Amino acid sequence: MMVLSCIGLYFVTRTILKNEIEEDLYSTENRVEHILKNHGILSSLPPVIEIRETDKIYPEYLKDTIIYDPSQDEMELFHELSTFQNINGLNYRITVRAMVVETEDILLAVVASYIGILILAFLILYYFNKSRNRNLWAPFFENLSVMKRFSLPSDFPIELKESEILEFSELNREIRTLTNKVRDDYRNLKQFTENISHEIQTPLAIIQAKVEHMMNGDGLDNQQFDHLASIQKDIHRLTNLNKKLTLLTKIDNKQFQNLEQVSIGSLVEEVVDNFRELSDAPIALKREGEPCLEMDVHLASVLCTNLIANALKHGGKKSGVQVTTGEKKLSVSNAGMEALPNPEKLFGRYYTGSRARGTGLGLALVQSICDLYGFLLSYRFEDNRHVFEVDFKPG
Amino acid sequence: MKILIAEDETSLQESISSYLEREGNICEVASDFGEAYYKVDLYQYDVVVLDINLLNGSGLDILRKLKSGRKETAVLIISANNSLEDKLEGLNLGADDYLTKPFHLAELNSRIKAVLRRGRFGGDETIVFNQIKIDTRARTVFIKEKEVTLTKKEYDLLLFFITNRNRVLSKEIIAEHLWGDHIDLADSFDFIYVHVNNLRKKLTEEGAKYIRTAYGSGYKFTEE
Repeated sequence: MMVLSCIGLYFVTRTILKNEIEEDLYSTENRVEHILKNHGILSSLPPVIEIRETDKIYPEYLKDTIIYDPSQDEMELFHELSTFQNINGLNYRITVRAMVVETEDILLAVVASYIGILILAFLILYYFNKSRNRNLWAPFFENLSVMKRFSLPSDFPIELKESEILEFSELNREIRTLTNKVRDDYRNLKQFTENISHEIQTPLAIIQAKVEHMMNGDGLDNQQFDHLASIQKDIHRLTNLNKKLTLLTKIDNKQFQNLEQVSIGSLVEEVVDNFRELSDAPIALKREGEPCLEMDVHLASVLCTNLIANALKHGGKKSGVQVTTGEKKLSVSNAGMEALPNPEKLFGRYYTGSRARGTGLGLALVQSICDLYGFLLSYRFEDNRHVFEVDFKPG
Repeated sequence: MKILIAEDETSLQESISSYLEREGNICEVASDFGEAYYKVDLYQYDVVVLDINLLNGSGLDILRKLKSGRKETAVLIISANNSLEDKLEGLNLGADDYLTKPFHLAELNSRIKAVLRRGRFGGDETIVFNQIKIDTRARTVFIKEKEVTLTKKEYDLLLFFITNRNRVLSKEIIAEHLWGDHIDLADSFDFIYVHVNNLRKKLTEEGAKYIRTAYGSGYKFTEE
């Protein structure tokens, strides 16, 4: 559209200019003729006016010609009108010329003015829209930053800025309803996990006490005793599950604020010693680096214990477990036949890969702790070994 | 020993008191905060087994009350809450030990005895069972005045057996006592077998044949 109008304008301007010049030429020629008739003499004024006597009379003609203009020291395009007249008995050739505005110049002027107008229009529109939008969207962006700052565990409801724009106030209303609902759900869930500990552990304590009473009662046979011992085992499992769940919830709630300098090397050594008392699986500890981290001691110990327990549980019993501390990492590996089929599910809750009976929360706990402190937990299968590695300073 | 059991679950209360009474203790029970507060105020106990979440009030208030008086009472908290903060608060307030529910009665019994052994309550730090003598401060064991060298786990095991003599102890109970939270490994029971066997061998060599197998998979420390 712009280009078409630009081209159109160019041709229109050119035609108009041409016509004007021709008109001008004719009128100049008339004047020259008039002067010649009345005064009889007129010298030439090259290159604009040239008068020459000729022997014959030709029809008049119009043409373009390029003439050297000494005043400007360049070749210029002229439009030229030549007429032949018989004035006072003499044949004259009267040539009048007018400088033509060059086509490129016209084109350039047209395009330049168009671009100028475009840029100006664009700038004005841009600043106009910007300031208008800023005012219009101000409440939206303010509310957006409020939402970004909004944290679920906080005790205060979200505070949004009111807006006169219907859509925004509707959005605000929905956000308020939504966050209140989420906050309520979150509180209930938290309450539930906090209560469940008490609610489940007390009945478990009663069952446990009764089982122990029966064990010490009379008339028990071996099989009944084994049943009772197995009940004890399952009570312990349930207790463990409960403990881990509460711990997970606490980590998620960021209730571990007690930061200390923890030397991972000596902590791992301690944990490995504990496991050596518990199992005759060979646990090799290699301390290549001594990472020192600022974190909760209890969580650090949970992290190490669960990683090593996981390796022991899944095949590390016979072939052993290799624990290595690096400058900024901790890796635990055990031998295996092939890579685990679902590595992305490994760190989720209640995922138990093999027959080994566990709570399915061990690695989820490790992942949670890593998330809390910004560590990177990864799994890889390398040289026929399952390697779990925690990178303490990723990136 | 006179023991008060402040626990609002009556069936747990009964189990605890009947277990401890078999040890020759006198047990009284309190089922809610008011009753516990009243009894603690009125009578003198050697040990109070205190539940933190009592009906109508917190066991911690009873603990404060006990520790503000001059009464030389050992306090053992039993709580369904395994949070570290609660445990620390309880111990800071002067509780002598903290046990998370569910616990084994044998474990509770051994904790109570351990608390009483500590000199503060006038207890004796040496345990004597026939020819076996254990010095709990130095953690040494003598049989007929001859010192027997035990590993740390064997020592813990012997102490646990003696404090819970004549009781049937399953491997589960022993494992939890020896390793607490660390046992998540099902096969740790094989290790119990190894430890018990080693201890039994060392005792038998000195003529102390007290560890017996009960019902095939359990153990009992008894004179008979």
